Amino acid sequence: MPRYAMVIDLQRCVGCSACSIACRNENNVPDGIYWSNKLTETSGTFPNVRYHYIPTLCNHCENAPCVRGCPTQAMHKLDNGITMHNPKKCIGCKYCEFNCPYGVIYFNWTYPHKEWKNKEKVLEGTTSPAEEVAKTSGKTLPYYNPEREDTLAGIRPKGVVEKCTFCDHLVKRGKLPRCVEACPADARVFGDMNDPNSKVRQLLGKFRPFRLREQIGTEPHVFYIRDFNPANYQPSKGGI
Amino acid sequence: MNQTKSSNGLFFTWLGLLGISILIGLFAAFKLLTEGHHLFNANDVLIWSLPLGVYIYLALTSSGLTLLASVPLVFGIKRYEPFAKRLVFLAIGALLGGFVSIGLELGNVFHMVYILLSPNLSSPIWWMGAIYSLELVVLLIKFQRIHAGDWDSRLSKWLGKVGFLCALIAPLMIGSVFGLTESRVTYFGPVMSIYCLFMAILSGSALCLLYNLIQAQVTGNVISGDKDALFKEFTRIFTGALGAVIILTLIKFFIEGSTVIPEFLNYHKYAQAFGSIAGLNTEVILGLFLPFILISIPGLRHNNSTRILTCALVLLGTLAMHMEILLAGQSRPVGPKAEQFPDVISYYPSSWEWMVFLLAVAVMLLLFSLGERFLKLESTPA
Repeated sequence: MPRYAMVIDLQRCVGCSACSIACRNENNVPDGIYWSNKLTETSGTFPNVRYHYIPTLCNHCENAPCVRGCPTQAMHKLDNGITMHNPKKCIGCKYCEFNCPYGVIYFNWTYPHKEWKNKEKVLEGTTSPAEEVAKTSGKTLPYYNPEREDTLAGIRPKGVVEKCTFCDHLVKRGKLPRCVEACPADARVFGDMNDPNSKVRQLLGKFRPFRLREQIGTEPHVFYIRDFNPANYQPSKGGI
Repeated sequence: MNQTKSSNGLFFTWLGLLGISILIGLFAAFKLLTEGHHLFNANDVLIWSLPLGVYIYLALTSSGLTLLASVPLVFGIKRYEPFAKRLVFLAIGALLGGFVSIGLELGNVFHMVYILLSPNLSSPIWWMGAIYSLELVVLLIKFQRIHAGDWDSRLSKWLGKVGFLCALIAPLMIGSVFGLTESRVTYFGPVMSIYCLFMAILSGSALCLLYNLIQAQVTGNVISGDKDALFKEFTRIFTGALGAVIILTLIKFFIEGSTVIPEFLNYHKYAQAFGSIAGLNTEVILGLFLPFILISIPGLRHNNSTRILTCALVLLGTLAMHMEILLAGQSRPVGPKAEQFPDVISYYPSSWEWMVFLLAVAVMLLLFSLGERFLKLESTPA
């Protein structure tokens, strides 16, 4: 059985957020919820200043606190290591969200994609955007992806949590997660940790990877390698 | 005759007020079920708010009351028996109020069946829910047995023991819900469970004293003789619990104030949601220190007005302390949520949250009132 993992090469990542947009489209993610997100940080003071950008997603931890804490096993592990959620079992206690050390689980506080259900007319005598979309596409959401329904509710209902699933519905069919496919810089590499010849294993052997908040023992399966830094300096021993 | 009429009038006015509060709460429940929890002033950083704080408070109070009821019912100390039936009933009322509050905090209460169908034994929330549910069932049967005059049968004694164990373990489970989170060190790990147990005994003994004193005043009963001696003993238990919580709170303050762990340094930015007096949290000064001082003064200790004031202060203070701890631990975004949310989240309950609070408290008080009127809560073994 494979154990899936992702390696993110920070030297290749340009911070374009194509991963986040692709994820949103693939998984019908509502506004305010981010399955694919980023950490940004500015260090130093001008002119000696740097901007750091780290893409984030569910880490599909080996020792996932969200899975351990979920009272109904709605949050569970698949045999391939993916941390999956079943909204039909979710009681909306939000403990997984409270317990996640990475801030990658979100709660549906209201009906998702509410804005596309608004029947308010733009002007008197005209139609509403929601009506137009329904008339033209037959769907509530113009960019709705029905493939998501293979393994999870296409749109998750209000009152339950949701998060990245490593696009398990695509992986099941032998395809790569959407964020990996969409990355224009090939900064995301996906594969099987159990296969010694897989690209992820090669990269993890070749570079010294780090993971987010490794010290708490959750064993994340999203690894980061390298860093992008164009800065240079003249050799110096400093001074007093 | 006229006194009975006036007392009935007051009782039905009180029931009317509770009825209106329950209707308001039910309207909020309907809105939450149909529109979602965006009606709360919670978000993906400050995930749990007032309804959860109220649940913790009432559930712990119920555990405290059950532990007090165990003194005569499990440990056989007969002189406490006049309080036993009422304590069991108060514990049931407080727990049902807590369940109302947590039920409306949950995003999908109708999926609760999966707690039974798909249990996760590694989840502290599962254990907390299971033990409190068991405690409620045991308390209800125990109350029914006592009401039927069965205080000492094997079944009745066994129910008392199970209830005692539930009341002892459940607060530890509430503490572990917070203490076992890897990402939130400010909840003090396993120490939180011990803290919750002492808070349970404190708020339980405060409610026990306050309720019995008010009940005596409303019904015009004179507290004298054996009963007065019992009130003095309950006051000692209450004072002991108050002292223990003060010690734990001071240790917590010292650790928070001296550590340089980044999470604790950040924590200070939100650690005084209710303001401060001389640098210390208002709810701790008014809800712990002041009552302890008042109840420690020999001339005031056995004065009923002082007891009522100290118990009321402690009950308000412990609720505020639970809210303070709950909110401060969630005040800063975790990971990438810092991209979406401010550095420190400020919070004030929405009107819908207050309505949930009102519903939970009104359900509890309605049960207390009906029980007091119709269930002979002062009865003792024949």
